[in-house]
Amino acid sequence: MLNTSEIAGSWLCLLAPLGGTILITLLGTRIPRVAAGWIATTSVFVAFGGAIWAFVGVHGNPTDASNVHCVTNAANPVCGGSGEITTAWTWLQSGSFHVGLSLLVDPLSTVMMLIVSGVGGLIVLYSIGYMDGDDEERRYFAYISFFVFSMLLLVEGGNLLLLLAGWGLVGLSSYLLIGFWHERPSAVQAAKKAFVMNAFGDATMALAFFILIAHTHSLAFATSFAAVPHLSGTAVDLVALGLLGGAAAKSAQIPLQTWLPDAMEGPTPVSALIHAATMVTAGVYLIARTHPIFEQARTIELIAAGTGALTLLVAGLIALVQTDIKRVIAYSTMSQIGYMFLGAGVGAYSSGMFHLMTHAFFKALLFMTAGLAIHALAGEQDIRNMRGLGRLMPFTKWCFLAGALALVGIPPFSGFFSKDSIVASTAALGTWYGWIFWVCGIAGAFLTGLYTFRLWFLVFPGEPSPFVREHHHKHHGREGAWTMLVPVGVLAVLATVGGWLQWSPQWHPFSNWLEPAARTLAVAAPTNTQEYYTSVATVLAGLAGIAVAWAIYSERKLAIPAAPFWRRTLEHKFWFDELYDAVFYKPAAVFAAALRREFEEPVVLQTGPDLGRTTLETGGFVRRIQTGLLRTYVLFLAAGAAGVVLAFLIAK
Amino acid sequence: MLGPDVAWYVAVAAVLFGIGALGVLIRRNTLVVLLSLELMLNAGNLALIALSRHWHNGSGQIFALAVMAVAASEVCVGLGLVVALNRRRLSLDVDTLSELRG
Repeated sequence: MLNTSEIAGSWLCLLAPLGGTILITLLGTRIPRVAAGWIATTSVFVAFGGAIWAFVGVHGNPTDASNVHCVTNAANPVCGGSGEITTAWTWLQSGSFHVGLSLLVDPLSTVMMLIVSGVGGLIVLYSIGYMDGDDEERRYFAYISFFVFSMLLLVEGGNLLLLLAGWGLVGLSSYLLIGFWHERPSAVQAAKKAFVMNAFGDATMALAFFILIAHTHSLAFATSFAAVPHLSGTAVDLVALGLLGGAAAKSAQIPLQTWLPDAMEGPTPVSALIHAATMVTAGVYLIARTHPIFEQARTIELIAAGTGALTLLVAGLIALVQTDIKRVIAYSTMSQIGYMFLGAGVGAYSSGMFHLMTHAFFKALLFMTAGLAIHALAGEQDIRNMRGLGRLMPFTKWCFLAGALALVGIPPFSGFFSKDSIVASTAALGTWYGWIFWVCGIAGAFLTGLYTFRLWFLVFPGEPSPFVREHHHKHHGREGAWTMLVPVGVLAVLATVGGWLQWSPQWHPFSNWLEPAARTLAVAAPTNTQEYYTSVATVLAGLAGIAVAWAIYSERKLAIPAAPFWRRTLEHKFWFDELYDAVFYKPAAVFAAALRREFEEPVVLQTGPDLGRTTLETGGFVRRIQTGLLRTYVLFLAAGAAGVVLAFLIAK
Repeated sequence: MLGPDVAWYVAVAAVLFGIGALGVLIRRNTLVVLLSLELMLNAGNLALIALSRHWHNGSGQIFALAVMAVAASEVCVGLGLVVALNRRRLSLDVDTLSELRG
């Protein structure tokens, strides 16, 4: 049965950030800027409290191993499974199809609630220091707490329609925040690009929902999932494909990945929160949440895994040649989400979700340390200018190192525990594609080591470069405001120890926790042997990557291979932008130009003046009967009256 | 049957109406134009009353009363305008008052 703390906790968690947004918006300029920051931070931490409350509620609830079996009833929610649905009212009704404004509280959604509001709260706190002195801080904090609300709606939504609503709203707030510095043309363009790419995914998702409504007459998780096995194979495949489209767009997976690097135009905390820790991982959550659909369409699920494998390699390769510190981390994010897709796609949902959590810790940490560096260097983002920064910023340096080691997956840092179990589950498949995925995972680990420590060796060790000496400035004698340093410190600890929750061969409370909501498929459950040899392989690959980076960028013993073709390919990000430009933009532009030339200018633009001229000419002709002479008018009057009389006489 | 046949009354009314209409059309003095208008209205009244009696139907007489009320109001306005024109020492010739020419 539903218990109070689940209901109260989940609603509090959802509504607190919305309240923060409304408060900041309504108070406007009546409060000082810093107060807006504290309202946003408090509201998100209140949401975190709500999430803990809901978590405690779910934890104290005896759960059976079955999936969500809820019968939603506005007045009296009856739940037989682990997922507890609380419905405020019937939101939308059309015949027998109705959708409630309901929240789902189950192990999966509580994990997401904790990550979103916890990491979110730290990042909003960090923003207070980072955005200090910006002209439009209040607008920033209103947007960012609105983002947290949207993201929580996405993960807590008790049916697919609410999930889609949250999905759209995070897209909107991402758009608003990427384009936050709206006086920069590049930021505005990046925001538009992100919005259009995401709109594509939203559209495929909406189409999938239409098919689902047509066949199952419901968008509630329980009823539509229960009906899915009775659907035809094609219908399920189409639904899964539509969902995958949405997931790939939101999570920046090939072929819808090009918006994420450009999204780095937004403020750094936005990159940390939206484009690393939460929103971009929503695709993984979607696959885990709708896994009953994906399991009925196993081919599509494996395509998701393949997409992830491809993306993790491509993004890792591109990251090798990027020179903007945030873009390197952005490509790394794409690559790590590739791992999560790989895990969720082969059926190891809890491994994917676990990597989502540890990634939220260490990637937010990396972005925030990068933000500290950018802040201290007055906005500089080019890593070629940053050599030797570690001497001046030791705290930043060590925190970055913790994040980097977690990212590469060196034990005992968190990435080791989550990434390895994903790669091990591909080995558990035992099929030819399983081994391809496995090799991709190992190669990805090597690339991760290489690009992460390229960044490390270029930025932190050694003597400070003249540029750094000249531009570096301290903030009240520290490396940043305390509001920035505290979240970074907390996340550095989490990035280090966050993985200890689970070591899949021996100790797996996280998987057990998620089991009622998203149980790992039997085919993707690795044996201990597979876990061990995969761990050895990934750690060795990661260390090899670090060693190569050390040899090239620190000791300069190895030259960078001169392969101009490959270098150009990587610098052009495999020509995806150019390809989309040629395939979509150019034909549309040519078509639009032709329409303008052939239709707009001769037809549309001419009609108005023509109408006006004709009216003027007619008027000029008619005005002559207005003589101003009273007797003329009387004559017309008499003639008219005579005409009427005559007409009556004739008619008689 | 008292008095002459109804046709005579209608004929007199037609003649009066014709004189009035002609006056409105050809006279240029505003005062005379107003007088001619009154003539036309009263021609109508005469026809209404005569035919009312002929058909033994009271509606025509009621109409005539209404026309008298309208005529009285119209004279008020019309004479007021004439007085106003005169006070400003403007011409009373209707042909000179043609500012509304299109």
